[in-house]
Order: sequence, then structure tokens, then C-alpha cells
Amino acid sequence: MNSVLKITQLEVDFCLNGVIMNSPLRGMNLEVKAGKTLGIVGETGCGKTLTAMAIMGLLPSTAVVRGDIELADHGRVTAVDMARIRGEEIVMIFQNPQSAFNPIFTIGEQLKMVAKRRNIARSEIEKLLISRLTSVGLNDTKRVLASYPHELSGGMLQRAMIAMSLLSSPKLLIADEPTTALDATVGDQVLRLIQELQISEGFAMLFISHDVSAVGKTSDEIAVVYAGKIVETGPTPVVMNNPKHPYTQGLLGAIPSADKARGTLVAISGNVPSKLTGLVGCSFVERCPMRIDRCVDEPPMVKVDEHSVACWRSEQ
Amino acid sequence: MSEVVMSISNVTKVFTTRALKAGFKAVDSISIDLLKGEILGVVGESGSGKSTLARCAFGITPPTSGTVEILGQTLAGKSRKATRELRANLGFVFQDPAGSINPRMSVRDAIAEPLMLAGENTVAIDKRVELLLDRVGLAASQLRRKSHELSGGQCQRVAIARALATNPKIVLLDEPTSSLDLSVQAQILNLLEELRQGFDLTYFIISHNLDVVSHLSDRVAVMKDGKFVEVGDTKSVITNPTHVFTRELISTYSRVGLDKREIPVGFTLDSWQNGPLNRWAFQNVEKFLPTAIIEPSLNPPSIPVAIDSAIEAIEIDVADQRFTFPELLADLDTDSIVIMRKGVLVYEKYFNEMTVNSPHLLQSVSKSILGALYAIMAQKAVIDVERTIGSYLPELINSAFGKATISQALDMSISIYFSEDYLDPQSEMTRLDIAAGWRSAPEGTDCGLRPFLKTLRIQDEHGKAFQYCSANTDVLAWLIAEVTGISYPELVSTYLWNPMGAHDRASIILDCQGLSVGNGGISTSTRDLALFGQLILNSGCFNNNQIIPQFWIDETFAGASPKVASVDYLQALHPGGSYKNQWWITASQSREIYGVGIYGQYIWVDPTSETVIAKFSSLEVPVDALHSRKHMALFRAIGRL
Repeated sequence: MNSVLKITQLEVDFCLNGVIMNSPLRGMNLEVKAGKTLGIVGETGCGKTLTAMAIMGLLPSTAVVRGDIELADHGRVTAVDMARIRGEEIVMIFQNPQSAFNPIFTIGEQLKMVAKRRNIARSEIEKLLISRLTSVGLNDTKRVLASYPHELSGGMLQRAMIAMSLLSSPKLLIADEPTTALDATVGDQVLRLIQELQISEGFAMLFISHDVSAVGKTSDEIAVVYAGKIVETGPTPVVMNNPKHPYTQGLLGAIPSADKARGTLVAISGNVPSKLTGLVGCSFVERCPMRIDRCVDEPPMVKVDEHSVACWRSEQ
Repeated sequence: MSEVVMSISNVTKVFTTRALKAGFKAVDSISIDLLKGEILGVVGESGSGKSTLARCAFGITPPTSGTVEILGQTLAGKSRKATRELRANLGFVFQDPAGSINPRMSVRDAIAEPLMLAGENTVAIDKRVELLLDRVGLAASQLRRKSHELSGGQCQRVAIARALATNPKIVLLDEPTSSLDLSVQAQILNLLEELRQGFDLTYFIISHNLDVVSHLSDRVAVMKDGKFVEVGDTKSVITNPTHVFTRELISTYSRVGLDKREIPVGFTLDSWQNGPLNRWAFQNVEKFLPTAIIEPSLNPPSIPVAIDSAIEAIEIDVADQRFTFPELLADLDTDSIVIMRKGVLVYEKYFNEMTVNSPHLLQSVSKSILGALYAIMAQKAVIDVERTIGSYLPELINSAFGKATISQALDMSISIYFSEDYLDPQSEMTRLDIAAGWRSAPEGTDCGLRPFLKTLRIQDEHGKAFQYCSANTDVLAWLIAEVTGISYPELVSTYLWNPMGAHDRASIILDCQGLSVGNGGISTSTRDLALFGQLILNSGCFNNNQIIPQFWIDETFAGASPKVASVDYLQALHPGGSYKNQWWITASQSREIYGVGIYGQYIWVDPTSETVIAKFSSLEVPVDALHSRKHMALFRAIGRL
């Protein structure tokens, strides 16, 4: 299986006047395979979105990015290469479609701007837009194309955003919490739409979400992120059915269900550490119910059965 | 029996707008009692009226009619002071915690506001705020902070503390955790349960999140179109829902997105129709192709059932072999079979993950449904079947269909350059599949049925000979939607599926432009297809309601003219048989008619023994003469019983 995207030791520091203020990414390693979905889960503030932004080269100048980003057919890429590749081979859809569209242009104008980047005849553009919009379930194409972003509902906008991102037939779609800003029933529909399109178009996907159960159902592989690092990764069913890291166990225990007695849900105590610069030892130790003396040293990523886990306890 | 703390009786809320004179009924005569200490969960899709009901119940908006009693008193007609006193018994927590707290107020002021309005003195207020803060798990150091300095979970804790400030008896929780992280959600849910016990509270929870509702509530009410369709004990509603809508809500919910683990190995857009991949694909088309829903009947009458065990014991002789009934079903890769005799369901069996309610692709059996729809529209004089297709769809004027009449299309007597070869990659049939989005399109191919249908050319004179051509039906599905101005799935739902009492949601596949694939894109449950067959058998009548005009059913049973039908392969299959109105006419002694789809889909109507058989299969190959013979032998053996 060949990979579309491979990231090695990706680190991000935020600097002010040459001083490191925070180091939110501390060595991310991940690989997205062609046509497959890698799900990234973790709480707010763990560095999920930051990873996506670093890949796309969309971080502000205060961010210092280190590490390797490799793409199929391109090899190692730099930020300069990325400016050309993003929006074509790698596309991204964001959490809030309302703010991702430009409010002063109609949807039609914005889609056309993207379509024009491909060398297709003017007469064909209209056709392409209509077929794209219908493929995302926006059948009233005339109205959608003539609408300004504020005239459409959140669900419709997110669909339009998906249509826009797929205009270039990309190899990789990065979906950053694509349903969080939507009403839940609408969110479910959008999620299903993305998956249907993935089957018919065959793109690979990096799916970022804090909803473990959604990621568990939609991804082929899963990467659990905590404090700027992956703490557990492996084939989704394996990780979901047999989580090894106490953080993964905590996330899964938090899912409510009728079978769990009221008031007894596992809630991970405390918060994600906000400043990660100079962190020593296991980053989860403060909140870990299973910590041992060795946790003052940082645990390496080790292979246990089919997963990789960064926890001293995983060997026991 | 516990004391009733809130009694909602016959509450209706109508919103009127200039455009909608009659008004929109958001809540439609709902009655329910809340018992002390219980947690009632209200679930439903967005727009079902959940929030409006809660707003009426908690006195935020007055209901149009009906009454709400809170601790035995009504809010209506009270003085301002008395209203405020009664309202002190109610607390509110809303979805967006940051948005529901005034950004200019500190945590202390936000929690204190309701107490100040209630006229408490500062000392008492501070004491109460301190207590509440502690109970919701916030530190005293956070008192001076403002909402932007708090996390989402902390904001929701503040909102909960504020809701509890006036010591309410009943608290409304409107999507209390949907904007929170999973781990924070767990903390809040635990907190809510702890507070309920500590403060003796009753909760009214609205949520679309079935996990949250089923975890937290004692009772669940399922809401649709302003009405409760099902109310009951949480466990029984969730594990054993009785209403069709609840079943759907739960199944859609548990299917959030598509479960990757389900998709069979080797599945692609070009392989899904072949066995054995079609076993999964035919039951799950809506997971990989765009579809539109065909709504069933909202309150379908139940189907009479009397299982006849003799059916399973029959033996069938076919192709020099003797099969037992189960053997033949297995040999024909059966996914499901439903048999009805004299209007009673006498046998049903499901294989390969099929269930009573699950849909299966009909393939060309879809055509027979379209035939009935044309009869209804012809009866209403909306469509004249003797007019040419070109006169309705000018776009097709230069194609093979321009001068052909609708009835020639219905009877498949259009002469057209079209090879219905399912396995030839160059055939028009394969190109039709590509246009419909059923196969992957080679680079540079136009998507959509419309542009493809325009390219088909006339071969010889129309109306002279039978030529089975799937494109005809796609043209007809396009035409009927164009002329009526109603989408094809909506037509099927309004004129057939709803009036005939269909139980389960059906669907139809759409092409890339949103046009229905009429030739084979419908999926229904096996029982509903059998009900459709039963409707044909009953001369189009159901519950004293003439749904399909009788003349059309008689015309269909009579068949087409022998001259048109004198095509070799048709005569070899059914001597004297023909094709009429999108149905196959056997012209045998028992005068059966049937609809058939590739890979073994059937609706079989036998008027002599009054038997209807709906059968779905996932055969290895699209068409095979031996499979057809075996199916006929099976159906006739059942009819003879």
C-alpha cells in the first residue's frame, strides 16, 4: 500500500522576538495511505488542527515548523512547493463554513475562481459546477450559485465547500471537524456525504475530530493525539476494541450509553496542559489514573500487537 | 405514584406568516406529565418541534392553545409578580454555553442575576453563589472571570449554576452538551446526575444525541412533525421501538456516517453489481450512490400474517433435478422472499443480513412501479400516453424518442440503436450505467442521463416490434417529473407508497444532475414490494380506495398485440406472452404477470391462485436462462399449493 502523505518528526514552535513561547507540536509522525482514511482524535488543544495547518503551510510567520513532509509523486516538500500543491492535490475543509467562504462574493463566483485554475473551457466550467453541486446533494444549483454565503444554511454551505474542494479531483482531503459547527442531524448527513464521495472518487482522507465514536466508525486507521504527540495509533477496530493507552481508554469511557449507570461515566480529570515547552516525562502523567514511578521519563512509542503505544504500562 | 410537577395538556403552537396563511403547526396537541424526580428526554430531527414544545412548556412562548400547569398552577393570566414567583421553579440550560452568558458579566454576576431579580439581599446572594459554584465544580478564584476567559465546559458549569440559582424544581436542558468535547461532556453528564440527586430536580432534556438521551433519561418521547409518535420507558423505546419513525431514527443514528468495516473487500464502482459483492451492495446502495428518499405511509395498517408451513415442504422439479424449497432458495442466492396469498402474508424468509425492514435494490422491477404511476397520471388527464415524447420533452425531439409515443415507450416497442447487453463494456447499456453514475466514467465522459439519452438514435419504425430498452424507462421517469413538476421519488411516495400503506422508507438512485434513475434505481423492503404486487392483484384497490385505475390493470393483464410480441426470445420464454405497461405477461393458463430485475429480483402476481411473491437475490451474473426457469418453476409450485 503506497502512502499519499507521510510526516516525520513534525514540530511546531511559536516564537515571539526569537523566544519560544510554546511548542504545541512535539514530534508528530503519521502516514495516510491512498484511498484510506486516517482519523485523528484528541481533546481541544491537543494539536489536531495545528497538524493540518502545518501540513498545508498555513501557519503564521510566528510559527517555526520543523520535520519532514513527504508526498506521493513529490517526495519531500517545502513550504514553497506546498503553495502550488495545496488546493489542487491536497485540499482542506474547515470547521466553520460560514467563515471559510468570502462573504462578499456569491458561491458561484467563488467556485468559478477555483475552477478557472484548471485549464478547462469557459463553457465547460458551468457544467462542471452544476455536476459537482448535484453530487454533493445541492440540487437547486441555480439558486446556490447565485447565493451569498449568508443566504445558505450551515449544512448547505458545508456541502458547497466540499463541492469546491473536490473541483480539482484531489488525492487527499483534510477534513477538520467538518461537522462540529453544524446541527447534529445535518452533520451526520454531511459526514455520510463525504464518505460516499470518498468511495466514488477514491481520495484519501485525514479526518480530524474530537468525537471518538464518529472517527471509530469512519476511519481505517486511528491516531490518538495528546499534547502535540501521538500516544496511540493502529488499525481502527484494534484501537477501539482494545485501547492500550490510558488516555484512549479515558476517551472511550466517556461515551455515554444506556448500558452505563447514570453519573458513572469515566471523565478524564483535569485539562490538557496549555504550555508544552520544556515538558519532561510523560505528558499525560498529571491526569493519568494509572501512573507509575517510571512516568517521569518520557515513554517511547512501542509496538504492542497491532498498535503502537507510548506508555510504560503497555508492556505489562 | 410520584407527584406530577408539570402537566402539559393538549398544547398546540401555530406560527403564522404572511406567506403561509393557515400557519405552521410546530407543536400539535401534545399532552404529557412530568413526574417529580424523573428525567424526560425528547428526541427528534431538527425542525420536529422539540424546542418549541419546551419553550411553550417553560413559559417562554405562550402556546396557541392548550394549558401547561407547573406545580398545579398555570402561568397564563397571572400578575407579573405571581408569574415571576412561579417561574422561580424553572431553570434553563441552553446549547451554546458561551453564547448564553452575557460576555460583559463576571461569573459571579451571571449566577447572581436571577437572585437579584428575585429580590434577594447581597449577603444571601454571595452565600448562594459560593455554594452553587462549589457544587458545579468551579473554584472560587473563577468568580471574577468573564465568559471568554473560561473553557466551554466551565461556561456550561456556570450556566448550570445560574439555572439552579433560584432553587428550581424543574430544569430544561436544551442540547446541554452538544458543543462540548466528549470528555467534558462526560463530566457535565455526571454533574447533572449528581445535582439532580442533591437538589431534588426534575429534568426535561432535548437532544438529538441518542447516546446522551438514552444514558440520562428515564422516559423518552420521540417527536416528529410536532407530534409524539412514541413515548415510553427509555430502555424499551431504544431497544424495541414500535413506531417506524423511531426505528428509523435509531438506525440512522447508529449508522452515523458509514461504517468502514462493513464495506466488502474488492468493492469498487465497477464491481459492485457482480456477485458476491452485490450481496452487500444491493442492500446498501444509499451508502455509495446519491439517493432520494421515498417516504412510506405514516400510519400503515398492519399486514395480516398466517404462516403456512406447507410452503417450506414443497419440492420443485426443474432442469432434471429435484429441489427442496430451502435448497432452491439457496441455489438461487436468495436474499429474501415474501409470499402473500389472498391478501395474507403466508411466508417470509430473510438471508444475508436482510431483515423485515431492510431495503434491497429492485433493478428493473423499478420499471413496473413506473408503469402504475403513468396509469394514475393518465387517469388524472395530466399526461396523454398517446402523445409523443418529443411534444413533452423538446430536448429529445431529434433523438429516438422524439416521435415515439409514451405508450410505445411503456410497451417497449420503440425501435432504437441500443444494445441491452449488461456485460459488454461497449454496449449502450453500459454507457447508460455510466451516465447514471452506476459505473465509473472514463476521463472526458459527460455525466448525467439527460445528455446521454439525447444521443440515442432511431433505428426503424416504432410500434412494430418489442425491443426491451432500459433507456425508455429513464426517459419516462424524467418526463413524468417534468410534466407534473413533482420529483419522481415524491410521485412514487404520494401516489403509491403512502396510499398503499408501505411500512418502510424506500429510496431511488439519482444521477449526477439529480435525475431519478427510473430504469432500476428503486430500493424497497421485501414486504413493501409484496404490498405493491398485492395492489395490482386487487385491481388497484386498497382499503376501498382505488389507487391505480382498474382499466389499466385489465389492459396490462390482457397484454400487448401478438404481432408486436412476436420476437423470438420472448416467445421462447413465454409462448403467446408479451410485454405491456412495463410488466411481463406470461399468457400461461394461470395468467401470471411479473416484473423482473437483473441478478434475480422479482415481483410475481398470479391472479388464479391469488398469490403474490416478492423475491430478492444476489446472483452471480445479471441474466441466465436457467436461473429464470428455476424462478418460474419455484413461483408456479408455490401457486399450485
